[in-house]
Amino acid sequence: MIKYIIRRLLWLIPVVLVVSAITFILMHSTPGGPWDRDPSSRQVDASTQAVLNDYYGLDKPLWRQFVGYVIGDTNSKGVFTCGLVCLNLGPSYRRRGVPVQDILFKPPEDQSILNSKFGFSIKLGLLALTMSILFGIPVGVISALNQNTWIDYISLFFVTIGNAIPGFVLAIFLIIIFGSTLHWLPIVPDNWDGLPVWIMPSVVLGFGTMARTARLTRASMLEVMRMDYIRTARAKGLAERVIIYRHMIKNALIPTITFLGPALAGLVTGSFIIETMFGFPGVGREFVSSISNRDYSLIMGTTLLYAVLVALANLSVDVIYVFLDPRIRLSD
Amino acid sequence: MRSKWYFVFSALVLVSMILAACAPAATTVAPVPTTAPAATIAPKATDAAPKATDAAPKATEATKATAAPTKSAAPAAPVAAKDSVRINIITFPDNLDPQQASFVAELAHLKLVYEGLTRLDKDLKTVPAAAEKWTYNADATEITFAIRKGLMYSDGSLLNAKRFEYSILRNIDPTTAGEYARITDDIAGAADWGTADLKKATPEELTKLKAAIKIQALDAAGAPCKDYTQADCLTLKIGFGQSAPYFHTVASLWVTYPVKEEIIKTGTDTAKWWLSPKNHIGNGPMVWQTLEEKQKSVFIPSTTYWRGTAKVNIEYRYIVDGAVAYAAYKNNEFDVITLGAEDLKVTKVDPTLSKEIQNYPGSCTFAVMFHQQKEPFTDPKVRAAFAYALDRDGWVKDVLHGLGSATLTWIPKGFPGYDATEARWGFDAAKAKQALADSTYKTADKLPPIKLTFSDSPRNRTRYEWLAAKWKEVLGVSVQLNPVESTAYTALTKNVATAPQVFILGWCADYPDPQNWLSVYWKTGGFGQRIAYANPALDKVIVQGDTATDATKRMDYYAQAQKLLTDGVPVAFMWNSVNVYLVKPAVKGLVLTPQDADFPGSSDPLTISIQK
Repeated sequence: MIKYIIRRLLWLIPVVLVVSAITFILMHSTPGGPWDRDPSSRQVDASTQAVLNDYYGLDKPLWRQFVGYVIGDTNSKGVFTCGLVCLNLGPSYRRRGVPVQDILFKPPEDQSILNSKFGFSIKLGLLALTMSILFGIPVGVISALNQNTWIDYISLFFVTIGNAIPGFVLAIFLIIIFGSTLHWLPIVPDNWDGLPVWIMPSVVLGFGTMARTARLTRASMLEVMRMDYIRTARAKGLAERVIIYRHMIKNALIPTITFLGPALAGLVTGSFIIETMFGFPGVGREFVSSISNRDYSLIMGTTLLYAVLVALANLSVDVIYVFLDPRIRLSD
Repeated sequence: MRSKWYFVFSALVLVSMILAACAPAATTVAPVPTTAPAATIAPKATDAAPKATDAAPKATEATKATAAPTKSAAPAAPVAAKDSVRINIITFPDNLDPQQASFVAELAHLKLVYEGLTRLDKDLKTVPAAAEKWTYNADATEITFAIRKGLMYSDGSLLNAKRFEYSILRNIDPTTAGEYARITDDIAGAADWGTADLKKATPEELTKLKAAIKIQALDAAGAPCKDYTQADCLTLKIGFGQSAPYFHTVASLWVTYPVKEEIIKTGTDTAKWWLSPKNHIGNGPMVWQTLEEKQKSVFIPSTTYWRGTAKVNIEYRYIVDGAVAYAAYKNNEFDVITLGAEDLKVTKVDPTLSKEIQNYPGSCTFAVMFHQQKEPFTDPKVRAAFAYALDRDGWVKDVLHGLGSATLTWIPKGFPGYDATEARWGFDAAKAKQALADSTYKTADKLPPIKLTFSDSPRNRTRYEWLAAKWKEVLGVSVQLNPVESTAYTALTKNVATAPQVFILGWCADYPDPQNWLSVYWKTGGFGQRIAYANPALDKVIVQGDTATDATKRMDYYAQAQKLLTDGVPVAFMWNSVNVYLVKPAVKGLVLTPQDADFPGSSDPLTISIQK
């Protein structure tokens, strides 16, 4: 299995290269550039733009800019700066001179990486995922075991709501109920100390995933319940509890786990909606704002981060399969 | 196997709980001076300047920066006030370098910490700030600022004219690459150095260009100042390429804020000095205490500010969503928020909240821009027809929901140069139809296809549908809507070749002088060139206004210029922005000006108080 994992990790290299090439082509073919700001304000003049283009290498041919991004390049003063191969994601265009890796991963002074933007997103994502699993899987299982009963209908109702309600609507509902009306939780937390302030953002972030988890688990459970081996287990006289826990749930979780892998990548890379509404200091806002700002290096950095996380999540899912289904073996 | 699952679940729960509980502590910057105030002595002792200038950054620099301040009386360390005003400033700043910053949110932070040579009062008049007075020579080709004696930074170190000389030169420096670098191009030699080709020019040539700039800090004897410790270095002399009688107003801008050279040049990466609030040792009314990225900034009163000590702390938050900020305001978590169009309607009918609305003129004018080289707007009669067909009051009421005021002029009300008499091209359906009939096209069906281009957003789609419908109703013209992604829209409108046939664009004042409205925008080669606007007659009058030393004559020239600009209806002036905020009744002493794009009363934080 170790060999398999190492091989999959090595595959990350071409994946990252292809993703960066596609992203690079797409972002440079989009009209507008990093110096196109509010049209109702003074614009960057031509000579300043030339200086900035030189600093960021935008005056070089596109192929060289890409090679420079991946491998590194010399600037007009002859100084070589190593690129992606040295884990340097380049300087941000909007936050002049600040490396993208600092924006995403550097914590405030004297604090741990958990307090970086990525750290915040990881914490929120894991909290949302935990909530999704803790509520989604039991709801799906109970719903399937009580198919077509009032329990099933009620859970289906909530699952449908979870799938249908957009995050920003749910956020406003929660804010009005728990912030404005009941005054149980602050709308704009003074800081992110302690668990209570994390409740609203994590519920909003995880609610959709929880609903999808419940729906998938229910469907999968219903399928497994009709399998021959379940009938055989019952015929053998196994206790219903043993059948449910050992045979049904374990097998029914395979599709759920397949879904939760990429979902985890989505959750831990933050959410524009959550961060916009709750003033949450994660990386989600960087994803979106970097595109409208044409902050090329930040677009590349956030996209690559997402790509790597999706790849790692898929690898984790493959490894978890082995635990779930003894028939599955990871081929070296 | 089952135990493995318990382990996985338990681990997930535990990890997320622990991580969530790992709370970030604020990046608290102890509001203590960079140099212990106890070691400082009174600034008035001109001969007491320490000899040790050990922190001089570079021998090649004309200036000798020193880390040690001039001996001055130990200032009281800044202490947080009892009350705080909690303001939702919405956007987190991207750049906090005074010589590079440009956005409202960025300036909202800097203006609390720093102060320029001059400042604007409640009537937008330029009044003394760090400079206690200024004088122009006879033809206004030179200005001399007299810096206040005994001025101090918030850390108690001396602030002299040499600091301003450094900051202004830094703004011009092409390597700074500031977005407002060109705003000081009136200074003789500034444009030459600022636009020098850094790839071609040799270091010697660049040094020569820098040396040619007419800006000099002088001591009491009229000799060039030696360094930042020289207490009698209180004169700043600036020469211009041509008369610039408005420059004292330019001197109020953030680009002149006196940043400390030794702070910028200390550390491994000078490009990032501005990231930490502790590096913002300023001369303004507040001291930057903490900055938590995308969460909160706290400013406390400075004890060294020459006008006195502020009564409250200022706390900025960065909530982008208007509905959330509105709910938080109602929940008493904010004292000041910006009011959006969606909430204005509801707030106006709320018996309590309606009394907390602050609604007053802003600093931007928006206009329908007609491309002078793209048909059918090459024909002045067509432009006139579209201008007459513009129901500005309807737009303000139905589309902006009161977040604006209709206008027929370029310079908005409240700004010097506002023309209250202008009434041409107002909404008149009959005149609109007549103008179209008088045009070379005669009827609407003969017009070429017209595309109305705009920055795409759900809100803008509704707005522009309304506008197209109005033109259809009045003129019978079918205008096709052309939504474009926001950054692509900016790129399109910047270039005369790609600028659309017709679009809406605005201008927000950099500083309250007609020169900024007319010369910067409408003189040939200015921003008006994006719609191919060039009018030699207008240029002549604008130059006369720019260079006239008599204030009354200047205003006369600018009034003529505005009439000339409006004559040919190159654009249809449409509406002015308004500043609309919700302010808690306890917040008192707000000095409101049209330039308050950040928060009401930002022009003078000293007067703000909380009365519970």
